[in-house]
Amino acid sequence: MTKFARQLQFQMFLLPILVIYSVFTIYPLIKSFFLSFTNFDGYTEAYDFIGLKNYARIFSDDAITSAISYTLFFTFGKAILVTLLAIPLAMILDQKFLTRNIHRAIFFFPSIPSGLLLAYIWGFILAPIGSGVLNTVLRELFNIGPQPWLSDPLLAKLSTIVVATWAITGWHAVLYLAFLQSIPKDYYEAASIDGASRFQQIRYITIPLLAPAMTVSVMLLLTGGLKVFEIPFALTKGGPGYETYSITQVIVLRGISETQYGLASAMSIVFFLIVLAIAIFQVTVMQRREQGLQ
Amino acid sequence: MTKSYNKRLWILDLLMLPAGLIAFFPFYLIIVNTFKTMQDAAKSPMALPSKWIFSNYVQVFEETSILLSFWNSLTITVCSVLLIVLIGAMAAYPVVFNTNRFTRFAMLYLLAGFMIPFQATLIPLFQLMSGLQLIDKIYGLIILYMSGSVFVFFLMMGYMKSIPRELPEAAVIDGCSIGGIFWRIIFPLLKPITITSIIFQTMWIWNDFLAPMLFLNSTSKSTLVLQIYKAKGEFTVDWPMFMTLTIVTLVPIFIFFIIMQKHIVKGIAAGAVKG
Repeated sequence: MTKFARQLQFQMFLLPILVIYSVFTIYPLIKSFFLSFTNFDGYTEAYDFIGLKNYARIFSDDAITSAISYTLFFTFGKAILVTLLAIPLAMILDQKFLTRNIHRAIFFFPSIPSGLLLAYIWGFILAPIGSGVLNTVLRELFNIGPQPWLSDPLLAKLSTIVVATWAITGWHAVLYLAFLQSIPKDYYEAASIDGASRFQQIRYITIPLLAPAMTVSVMLLLTGGLKVFEIPFALTKGGPGYETYSITQVIVLRGISETQYGLASAMSIVFFLIVLAIAIFQVTVMQRREQGLQ
Repeated sequence: MTKSYNKRLWILDLLMLPAGLIAFFPFYLIIVNTFKTMQDAAKSPMALPSKWIFSNYVQVFEETSILLSFWNSLTITVCSVLLIVLIGAMAAYPVVFNTNRFTRFAMLYLLAGFMIPFQATLIPLFQLMSGLQLIDKIYGLIILYMSGSVFVFFLMMGYMKSIPRELPEAAVIDGCSIGGIFWRIIFPLLKPITITSIIFQTMWIWNDFLAPMLFLNSTSKSTLVLQIYKAKGEFTVDWPMFMTLTIVTLVPIFIFFIIMQKHIVKGIAAGAVKG
């Protein structure tokens, strides 16, 4: 068998992935970039290059600016809240208490079903009218009048963060748990012989050794958060106004529903750059932090 | 010593009880409301049913095409996941066992895919799918999902590096062909990482909403998630019906969770420790 034929046989194994990936990921990305400089509307064949006009329009389009600020608010809000809850939760679930397994299952399960479905369930709880479950509880226990959980701009944003946090905290706790279990018990024993309090042990042993887990967890939270769509869509449909429109929803609205391909493509490219920038920033910062702590 | 130790952990049980109840509450709420009439659910959503009824469950199967949606979701998920895992594993083979300039380039080229969100390619993808007449086709969606194989490729590559190189070399001496080495020796060894890949891809595709919403229009091709979305508009006031539909769609994913829980947790741990 010639060397060439041998090579060809090997490279054939790469062919399917290269074809699929080139056609359904790379080509559309390049085309997004190309369309973002045109006024293509999806119907007329003829279109012009209009330079950076679409990019300028992004910043004067209320729906788009609102979507960018909401998506960033949601992403960071959720990442901070989940991290603050998942680490203590993991530490608790690491203890051998009686109902540990049932608690692990309860906190972990919400990360399994679709976000759309979970958000719809929460929609019944947060229903703004007096018959909403949460408002009923508040009325009967504390005599507080109905709160507009999903129709007040700030409350709606916070509600989506709370629901997303509820759904994913258990998953991240499991991730931290895996790291906690890999910390040798001798470390704690040595520390307690040296007279370190439980709090000092957490501060100087657990937290530093969880740093790599935190890098992974926060990266997943940030990249996942930026791609948010289902939860606000199901809870608020993006409202009130454009207050809880996610970037994904605004791309679908401007691009697919209104066929403003140029504008939506510019938005796609900006989105791609945001994801890229945050990922690079996060990985470099967190890795430096990891090195600092260890 | 032992006594105080036990006492402290007993406090944890007590402490976690309210947290667990709050976390579980949404599920309690939907389960309990599936056994109520509309009036009963509107009047007291949290209480146990004043009179237990089961007609909602009968009605869900009569009035919605939920079984068809289940079948669609199953077809799409099973076909996509199998293809994704196969393509991903195949691609890792030459990259690990026949490294040269071309495979190195291919790896870098695929690595870029990690950073490209689906949303950034959405508009041209929509045009492309209509151009190729893949819209509103079950197989169209399956083809689209195959781009998820990039993620699997990297998982497979990492795992394949731990396979000793002597293994395929010995097989060559025994007269095994290049394809034969992969199918008969390498692929069976990838079982652990294949299970992890299957689990994560299944959860993604089974739960995906954006792609089916954009690329499947007709009711007869709805996935379960899409069915939930449509039902939300249909049963706006009939909470018990909607919640019954939700429970019925949760059953398969719950069974999946129970069977796979150990593997899912292992997968998360392995991914985290490596990453």
